Amino acid sequence: MILAENLDQFGKDPWWLVLAKVVVIFAFLVVMTLFAIWYERKVVARMQVRPGPNRNGPFGLLQSLADGLKLAFKEDIMPRLADKVVFFFAPVISTICAFTAFSVIPFGPTVSIFGTHSPLQLTDIPVAVLLVLACSSMGIYGVVLGGWASGSTYPLLGGLRSSAQMISYEVAMGLSIVSVFLVSGTMSTSQIVEGQAGNGTVNIGGWHADLPAWYGILLIPSFLIYFTAAVGETNRAPFDLPEAESELVGGFHTEYSSLKFALFFLAEYVNMVTVSGLCTTLFLGGWRAPWPISLWDGANQGWWPVLWFTIKVLLLLFVFVWLRGTLPRLRYDQFMRFGWKVLIPANLIWILSLAGILLTINSDSLSGPGKFGVSVAIIVAALALGFVAIAMSRRNVTVVEIPKAHPGGRVGGSKGFPLPPMNLEVPPSPRAKLVIAEREPVSTGKEKA
Amino acid sequence: MNDKLQLPNLDYAALSPMLILFGVACIGVLVEGFVPRRIRHGVQLSLSLLGLVAALVMVIRQGSKDDVVTAQTAVAIDGPGLFLSAAIIVLGIVSLLLIGERSLETGGAFVAQAAVTANTDADRDQAARTTGATEVFPLTMFALAGMLLFCTANDLLVMFVALEVFSLPLYLLCALARRRRLLSQEAALKYFLLGSFASAFFLFGIALIYGYAGQVDFKAIDTAIQNSANDDILLYVGLAMLAIGLLFKAAAVPFHVWTPDVYQGAPTPVTALMAACTKVAAFGGLLRLVYVGFHRTEWELQQVLGTVAVITMLVGAILAVTQTDIKRLLAYSSIANAGYLLLGVLSVSERGLSSSMFYLVAYGFTVLAAFAVVTLVRDADGEATHLSRWAGLGRRSPLYASLFTFILLAFAGLPLTSGFTAKFGIFAAAIDAGQTWLVIAGVVSSAILAFPYLRVVVMMWLSEPGETTPAVSIPGAMTAAALVIGTVATLVLGVAPSVLIEATEHAGIFVSK
Amino acid sequence: MNLSLELLAAAGDVKGGEAATFWILAPIAVLGALGMVWARNAVHSALFLVISMLCLGVFYVLQAGPFIGMVQIIVYTGAIMMLFLFVLMLVGRDSSDSLIETLRGQRMVAILLGVGLSLLMGIALYRALGDSDPKGLTEANAAGNVTGLARLIFTKYVYVFEVTSALLITAAVGAMILAHIQKSPEEKISQPERMLKRFLPGNYPAPKPGPGVFSTSDSVATPARLPDGTPSDRSISKILPTRELTSADVAPKGTEK
Repeated sequence: MILAENLDQFGKDPWWLVLAKVVVIFAFLVVMTLFAIWYERKVVARMQVRPGPNRNGPFGLLQSLADGLKLAFKEDIMPRLADKVVFFFAPVISTICAFTAFSVIPFGPTVSIFGTHSPLQLTDIPVAVLLVLACSSMGIYGVVLGGWASGSTYPLLGGLRSSAQMISYEVAMGLSIVSVFLVSGTMSTSQIVEGQAGNGTVNIGGWHADLPAWYGILLIPSFLIYFTAAVGETNRAPFDLPEAESELVGGFHTEYSSLKFALFFLAEYVNMVTVSGLCTTLFLGGWRAPWPISLWDGANQGWWPVLWFTIKVLLLLFVFVWLRGTLPRLRYDQFMRFGWKVLIPANLIWILSLAGILLTINSDSLSGPGKFGVSVAIIVAALALGFVAIAMSRRNVTVVEIPKAHPGGRVGGSKGFPLPPMNLEVPPSPRAKLVIAEREPVSTGKEKA
Repeated sequence: MNDKLQLPNLDYAALSPMLILFGVACIGVLVEGFVPRRIRHGVQLSLSLLGLVAALVMVIRQGSKDDVVTAQTAVAIDGPGLFLSAAIIVLGIVSLLLIGERSLETGGAFVAQAAVTANTDADRDQAARTTGATEVFPLTMFALAGMLLFCTANDLLVMFVALEVFSLPLYLLCALARRRRLLSQEAALKYFLLGSFASAFFLFGIALIYGYAGQVDFKAIDTAIQNSANDDILLYVGLAMLAIGLLFKAAAVPFHVWTPDVYQGAPTPVTALMAACTKVAAFGGLLRLVYVGFHRTEWELQQVLGTVAVITMLVGAILAVTQTDIKRLLAYSSIANAGYLLLGVLSVSERGLSSSMFYLVAYGFTVLAAFAVVTLVRDADGEATHLSRWAGLGRRSPLYASLFTFILLAFAGLPLTSGFTAKFGIFAAAIDAGQTWLVIAGVVSSAILAFPYLRVVVMMWLSEPGETTPAVSIPGAMTAAALVIGTVATLVLGVAPSVLIEATEHAGIFVSK
Repeated sequence: MNLSLELLAAAGDVKGGEAATFWILAPIAVLGALGMVWARNAVHSALFLVISMLCLGVFYVLQAGPFIGMVQIIVYTGAIMMLFLFVLMLVGRDSSDSLIETLRGQRMVAILLGVGLSLLMGIALYRALGDSDPKGLTEANAAGNVTGLARLIFTKYVYVFEVTSALLITAAVGAMILAHIQKSPEEKISQPERMLKRFLPGNYPAPKPGPGVFSTSDSVATPARLPDGTPSDRSISKILPTRELTSADVAPKGTEK
């Protein structure tokens, strides 16, 4: 299962090809951002049974371009209390980190570009996934500093929330990736994709199992946790607490305007694309074609994989939009509790059992049935542990007794305030005589005539 | 890439004392989570004591076996290592008796909730009513386990981790006093900041030594000193930085400034733990470092450390004269004692090693007994530590005043006490090693140091008890036990020291593998 | 672009790109460190430190330690400094260091000694290491950087590695002890009780009026006026000292024209 570290194909491009790749990635991300904004508005609109943007360009496709241009020509406001330098650099940090992370995401296999054989990926390093994590952790500085430097209360609260949120969810995200490292034995993105190439057959006690090639299926708990954490990490609904518009006006970017605001906006969408790209790479087979298409031999060669990659990313973006369209925003304490008390412990239990299973499968001393038995035992033990944890957390829930209704439904006698009902049902009003207004007919001025 | 990792051979029997203590500490943390608050104190105390006794048994069993270097040169379980481990465990048991005492004050010496702001209504309320935090037991266990590892570390990196493992719980324990909490918190913060600074020096030193020797285990460093082609500057700068880290823990001048503040601010049982066990651990580590890793730089070491030793002895003694608080006085006396111990380290001989180990044990018992008495002298506001309050104590409670007098005389090094035998052994070893100038400084400083001790004795016996002279509380069983053990050990080691001396000599020398 | 190759080959000798990166980043790292000491504002200090640590992360990568470099960025700059920022933001953005020296002349002496020590160390290390070549990187990274690291951690240092968990447990317990206040169940007020209390006679259940509402001044010390014209004490924060309002305070502001 462990792949040899073979990154020889990288680092041999001539300078013009490197430049070209950088420009293409930049363009890809900008176009994806423009497209994703339109896509999101359109999808959410469909979910809410309305047409969405449809004025500029075919299907309204140029809407975000128009918005972007408008944003660039708006007045750039610098609040008087702002920390000028930090205020300026915050969106820049966010954007740079968002773009940098994409440099290690593989788009496709080695192809020939003007006679030069080169992989469709800017570069790869032995710790590429960590580079993405590092970029996303640095990108948070943009949000936090933007909130701090604005010199205003709501942005500060947004920044505070975001710093706590990012730290919490980055732990869960990092842990969920660990299982991929465990199985693939590498941290380089191109090799993780390579690791999801074939259908590995495992012989467990005479029982042949075709291991699905995608880590998203093999390691489904990690996949789910990764995606949840990714939503938290990109500040998307239902975890968009740093910019909760109903509580904090605009959160960290309340004071931002014009191009600086556009940069934050760009960074948010690029981040979405990046986490989707990383998710595709780690869990969904990267640029490899999905099953029915993969039957065709040419599917994983040449330039086709770029298409598969883009489709997978777009599908994941759809899920982001879907979540936004479906779920209400979490309360802050619920959100933190979910991260620390659900995602992280579940992740730890899962990693522990996965490590146990891997050890069992690779062990020399156990026979086939033994391996199978031990693996099942590990899974059962992990599940039992999870149930015990859930039971323990339920134990302390105290049932609050709802006080009996006060006489007359009021506290403090008949002159007191009426007590709202505990079951949240609106009681019939004591004055509930349905009065139907009898209005005089509206004068039309014709009566007199 | 594809060949499998071979796990190193871990000699679990040899490592068991540490493992037991770590395990007990972890169980203690779980006890905090699951056992009802009412019985938590009893459970924690008996669990910790049981763990310590079990660890002691394992140390003694290991004593009859050969020296072991296990976990691939990481840990050396040899004679001196086992002796120091046993010393730490025994002194730890006695300090645990002080820590667990709850009869002197409702709820013990520790605060119930350290997060409550000091000097608020809530704080006064909890000081009067609630029982102290029982987390101190697992923390103490972690600290003691770290100390064991520190004495047996055969590798600078292991030593650093052990240093942190035993320091961090001590920083925390310092902040948990029930009374005078601001002083306690200040002490903890000072200790933490200076301690991490010293750790940083230690780490930098490790990096430089690694640059010099290419390895961090003591044997390899020793080999490198003989035939390394690298510049010696790396070696000496690195060694100096390592020394800063270790001398800080040992409280040697000029790295001693934290000692009086921390000794005064920390809860007295924790001060006792630090004075007894931390000293053993710090000097255990220093001894191994010098004897195994760097003994070939003896000449250079003796110049620098010798100067440090002289300053430590003199500064400790002279500043002790000016103190008006009993805990600060004992702190400066512990600084001076660090100076005497450095003499043993500098001898770099078998005799120096055995006399240092004897000194550590003897001093540990005496200082535990001293702090046990300090916990007893109290008034409505807790312990009365100002020296003026001790005036006339001899009339009020002759028994404890005589005990304390005996302890002070042992500190001063009078014959028939362990202080005399210990100092005699150290000085003799130093003269053997040709360090006469150090011994002269040691004798001079002992003479100076006798003054503050005798001043306390005179105050206790020759002044009239005043209005403010506090009463001496009747000790609970555990404090009484600690006091008796400490005093009896001081007496026995003074009258018949041969048993322990034989044990130290039997411990032999550090293994060098 | 040559980064990955160099990492794999565990560059023994210093190449052009590596040297250039070093000479660009090293001054930035030093400036970041100096800025951290000099900046008055705590957040600026933290940011300078972040810059310094980022540069260090890149140095580690350059010196054939990509894993430790990335971990440096993720853990130190990403998590630990972020926690610092979190606390600093709670403290408030305008808090700056006090310039009062509690020990007279201490700052001067500290600067002198600090510069002296760093000169001493710098010269000593330069003399010791100035002409020595890096070696051993190729062997250390023979099986890949991450694998090499794992090999050391799980063989030679496995015991220490396990012992560090004691450190982490201690830290967690310590954080709980020093920061957590356990409330007894009686102190917790349930929602129905809270609601009953709120609606009891003598308590006004609606939100407090904001300060300055219906008042003649912008000052937060000016009580709001209830609809009947009487000033409401409920509108002023309890921690504000009561003071006599001058005529200038009382005078309506911004409405002169």
